[in-house]
Amino acid sequence: MRFSLGNFLWRILDLIIAAIFIYAGVLKALDPVQLAHDIDHYKTLPWAVGVGLAFYLPWLEIFCGLALIFRLFYRGALSILTLLVVVFLGATIAAKVRGLDITCGCFGHASQNWSFPTHLALDLGILATLAVLCYCSVARARASASPMPTS
Amino acid sequence: MKFSLPRQVLILAALSLVPGVGQAIYFRDKISWQSPIPPSEMVSADQAREWGDTTVWIDARPDDEFARDHVPGAVSLNEDRWNELLPQFLAVWSPGKKVVVYCSAQSCDLAREVAERLRKEAQLPDVFVLEGGWEAWVKKNR
Repeated sequence: MRFSLGNFLWRILDLIIAAIFIYAGVLKALDPVQLAHDIDHYKTLPWAVGVGLAFYLPWLEIFCGLALIFRLFYRGALSILTLLVVVFLGATIAAKVRGLDITCGCFGHASQNWSFPTHLALDLGILATLAVLCYCSVARARASASPMPTS
Repeated sequence: MKFSLPRQVLILAALSLVPGVGQAIYFRDKISWQSPIPPSEMVSADQAREWGDTTVWIDARPDDEFARDHVPGAVSLNEDRWNELLPQFLAVWSPGKKVVVYCSAQSCDLAREVAERLRKEAQLPDVFVLEGGWEAWVKKNR
């Protein structure tokens, strides 16, 4: 089978990203009250919107993670997760610029003592991996759409 | 069956709503949609004044703001000097007394955080956050 090593690595990356988001989603889903307060610390959204997101976002992460594992709605899950990471990254940088001393709440209590560079490095790492997965997905779709060469 | 990208996004977004709504219903008594502090943990300036001598006031603002002005009889207890100030507060607290914590305004988090620590770490019952904070107290009393 062609590109088997590439497919294997692609699958590994899938599983790593899925595990990260499912883990983060479960931790946050267990304590939505704390997550609502973490979102509120960013001081960008009204409290009620933050509460709504605290109940919704963890499940979105979990479902997208599961979608990556089962390759169901795969491109949709990749798009949502990429958008989420971009928003997290933007909010984290904006909070730092505004001088807010906040915890991102990304991994529940586990991430409470993470420094800003740690948050940044993790978000950028995940974003880069998502970009690779998006590229692989598009390349695979193009390859399967093009006609098979005849020999 | 193949779905287009927007349809995949919509399906995942809609699926996530289901447990999210369920959880919001389950947690309806544990969180308020109106304010970060549940109504049962808040007290108005009028009500706190009615409690009279059974109230211990805690100023959760930074030291310089406390030094500038504070509720008469209030004790300073902020997170910057928690370990240093907590014994001073405990010296004036006694069982049966209600604790009212305030910070500068309704939007500040300091009072909520101090109140939470008093409940969790010092195991104190009857800890309330002043509705509207120092601003509200000044409006009512000056």
